[in-house]
Amino acid sequence: MKKNDISRRRFLKSTGALGSASLFRIGVPLLAAITQSACTARDEEAAFKTLGAEEAADFAAIAGRIIPTTDTPGATEAGVIWFWDNALGGYFDWLLDDVRELREQMIASLNQPFAELSAAEQDAALKTLENDHRFEYWRQLTIFGFFGMAKHGGNKDHISWDLIGFDGHHGAWTPPFGYYDAQAEQADGE
Amino acid sequence: MANNVTFDQRKPVDFAIIGSGAAGGIIARELSTAGFDVVVFEQGPYRKAEDFTHDEYDVIIRDQLLGGGPRLSGQTFRHDEDEVATSPMIQPIRYAQTVGGSSAHFSANFWRFRESDFIERSMLGPISGTNFADWPMTYEEMEPYYTRVDWEVGVSGAPGPFDSFRSRPFPMPPLPVKSSGVLMEKAANKLGLHAQNQPHAILSQPFNGRNACIHCGHCMMFGCEVGAKSSSLAAMIPLAEATGRCEIRDRSAVFRIETDANGRASEVLYYDKEGNEQAQMAKAVIVSANGAETSRLLLLSASERHPDGLANSSGFVGRNLMFNAHAAVDGVFEHPLNEYKSVQVSRVIHDFYETDESRGFYGGGGIDARPLWSMTPIFHALEGMPHDVPRWGAAWKDEIAHNFTRQMSFAVGTTSLAMDRNNITLDPNNTDQWGRPAIRATYRDHDDDLAIAKFLEDRSMELMDAAGARKFWGHGINLSNGGEHLLGTARMGDDPDASVVDRHHRSHDVPNLFVCDGSSFVTSGRGQPTMTIMALAFRAAEHIAAAAKANEI
Repeated sequence: MKKNDISRRRFLKSTGALGSASLFRIGVPLLAAITQSACTARDEEAAFKTLGAEEAADFAAIAGRIIPTTDTPGATEAGVIWFWDNALGGYFDWLLDDVRELREQMIASLNQPFAELSAAEQDAALKTLENDHRFEYWRQLTIFGFFGMAKHGGNKDHISWDLIGFDGHHGAWTPPFGYYDAQAEQADGE
Repeated sequence: MANNVTFDQRKPVDFAIIGSGAAGGIIARELSTAGFDVVVFEQGPYRKAEDFTHDEYDVIIRDQLLGGGPRLSGQTFRHDEDEVATSPMIQPIRYAQTVGGSSAHFSANFWRFRESDFIERSMLGPISGTNFADWPMTYEEMEPYYTRVDWEVGVSGAPGPFDSFRSRPFPMPPLPVKSSGVLMEKAANKLGLHAQNQPHAILSQPFNGRNACIHCGHCMMFGCEVGAKSSSLAAMIPLAEATGRCEIRDRSAVFRIETDANGRASEVLYYDKEGNEQAQMAKAVIVSANGAETSRLLLLSASERHPDGLANSSGFVGRNLMFNAHAAVDGVFEHPLNEYKSVQVSRVIHDFYETDESRGFYGGGGIDARPLWSMTPIFHALEGMPHDVPRWGAAWKDEIAHNFTRQMSFAVGTTSLAMDRNNITLDPNNTDQWGRPAIRATYRDHDDDLAIAKFLEDRSMELMDAAGARKFWGHGINLSNGGEHLLGTARMGDDPDASVVDRHHRSHDVPNLFVCDGSSFVTSGRGQPTMTIMALAFRAAEHIAAAAKANEI
């Protein structure tokens, strides 16, 4: 079995358990919804195209700290790791080596898998790397996956757009567009 | 739309036009309606309104309309000529490769130049270390062509207090004011400034059989899905094709203009969509490929007779590159502005347009109110955050979530001075996806360019305060590391030793070679060049058609 030949279902099972553990630790009462969204995020039977299961678990955890789950959803619920998998096997394939190397550098000094650390421990590990240009690749991949269209792999159910108030699929608008032009329009009418 | 005509490659066509953008599309329409056969070469594909999407990852991150990004273009950048230019993650020279060129993806802010723009050198005197010069014509001569753009391409707007004279009113009213525009008006009134309607190459009402704007909010960097943006794609090319005399040859990347034994342009060599070399014979060639591509093509067309590049006996091909300097101040307000809706800009301040010698430096510019970073989610998260917020984690996420609908920018567009040191050359190491030597840009802003940008950033901070922003911050003045405005690199002028084309866009060196696009500019204006590119194109086409009819090409 090749490294990449792990089904998404298996992957989800493994990270789902870890995810719930860390979520309990930070006390966020969203577990059921999150587990549900992750399990239906993508085609569970398909293998990752680009990433191996272990590194994917770490990258998912990294993305999950860059855009963490708080009282609102984060990279985990958006399924950002599937965007990473697509992008690093496609347009951003030239980043793959750098993206992997930085993880290897990071985990070399850890006693346990990154994905199994507490959120605080994960943040502390990431903090030491944040000025590395390869960290910026991690950050940008997470942004693209979280805020980009769902068809690229992340932003499941447009949860990031709901989070920020962007109605991206609404094709046309009419004035007033915002609070201040509505107010001005009203003042003009009086 | 299928091409309705295909011309024989071995039979000289009247005009080969290289580039289908703001200039090329207009020249194609003008010459084909005047009865000439034209082939327009466009290296990108023939996308139509219905092919454009709101997919930010595809369009902004993967550079879909730009031809696929720096790894395919091979473009390089450096600040100074003693550096080895490198290929950055973000494409340094940004223009659209699609039928319509950059007029398909621009924000469509659409200012005329003023009287002063054409005669600044006479007004202000020389500036040492620069190639600061007057244009070979005045605003009075340009005005009828600006008016043709208004009425034939389609411009929405209303006159402002500092505008140059216009011979006809705008053909349609301005687009509706946004929250950013209302806040700019409030701030301008407090400070004694004037916030005027922003003119747009976007239709505020149906016009010439085209749709009005639906305020979808995807203008800047995106193509217009309803054809309301007055690109050459929407406004001009359909008219050119309807003549039956215009062939749009898309996915055709020109790599050389061949000259004959008499030194005249005779043939255009290009790679077709399969990457195979092709040639088109032509009686005359018009290069409208933008300030970077035009320079590269002329340099690539060097021959024994033209050792430094075609039309380059002056050495001015590629020189005097001007990007327009920029600055931006962001502010976050109490209530939602929803700047992601509708066009970028609805109000602009032109009080600082003219050079004021009491400031101690050359230059002026405009300040407009717009979403800028708050236009789309990825862009907002990547670039829009205040500098005192961490770059990742919960606080950063909360800031993004809170600010997206409440944030706006005052964006500054200013002057650039023409200098030898800022230029387009052929990269000695990199090639593009077709194998052509890559475009290399060398650019270090003039101190005056940075000074006026800083001056206007300071004014923008005052405006943001007066507008009542809860929090605001400047993005700082940095050296340009690339640009979208590609101006000055084949300037027009009467002196063959200090310009590439004459006052009618004909090459001083090659009588049947014309160049008309942003490269023709002598000075940079104030940061919105496309209206002037289009006006130049109408004017150039009129002279080219007259010369062709008189057998004087």
